[in-house]
Amino acid sequence: MINRMQADGIIGKYAVGGAVGATFYLEPSATLDLDVFVKLPVAPGSSLLSLTPIYEYLTARGGRVEAGHIVIGDWPVQFLPSSNVLEREAIEEAMQTEVEGVTTWVMRAEHLVAIALRTGRAKDHARILQFLEQNAVDRHKLDGVLTRHALIPKWERFQSQYLKETNE
Amino acid sequence: MSKPELRKKLASLSFSEKIKILEKLRQRSLAIAAAGLRSSKANRNPK
Repeated sequence: MINRMQADGIIGKYAVGGAVGATFYLEPSATLDLDVFVKLPVAPGSSLLSLTPIYEYLTARGGRVEAGHIVIGDWPVQFLPSSNVLEREAIEEAMQTEVEGVTTWVMRAEHLVAIALRTGRAKDHARILQFLEQNAVDRHKLDGVLTRHALIPKWERFQSQYLKETNE
Repeated sequence: MSKPELRKKLASLSFSEKIKILEKLRQRSLAIAAAGLRSSKANRNPK
């Protein structure tokens, strides 16, 4: 349904992020919702981004709104308009894949780690550690993403907090 | 199978297979929450 919404011009390019996106690279871990980062088309003469067209489109096709999510099938989906250069880059460079024969896009591991670092909750830090422990991230590419998006100071704090023992 | 081996095996599954596991995990979490097991356990073992 998300691909159809994209084909109908309601959203631009999109990419799955969050815990479901991370599952593309790691072992599955419990999550309650699906985070979909989207580029929203901006109406001519307007600088406002609105999720209303998404809600209207999906509710007209059987989706229902629950606690800020739109439930599609059994999954509560959270649509997150790309709000910064990092998220826009993550959408642009997302990996194309398939789920049960349906094409979809998932953020690259390095972008998932960078966004988790920027978000900075405990569960985001735990996910970053999973990526590192399982060698699921290209450290050279990650350095590039962190440098481009001014996240090196945050990365250094993360390293000193969680990776000190392995660095010594 | 050791835990690291199991994690590696799970990580190597296809995305479609992983999504099926995520759906099961999600249903299990919702069932546990609905049964109130988490809160009743917490009530029995106050810190």
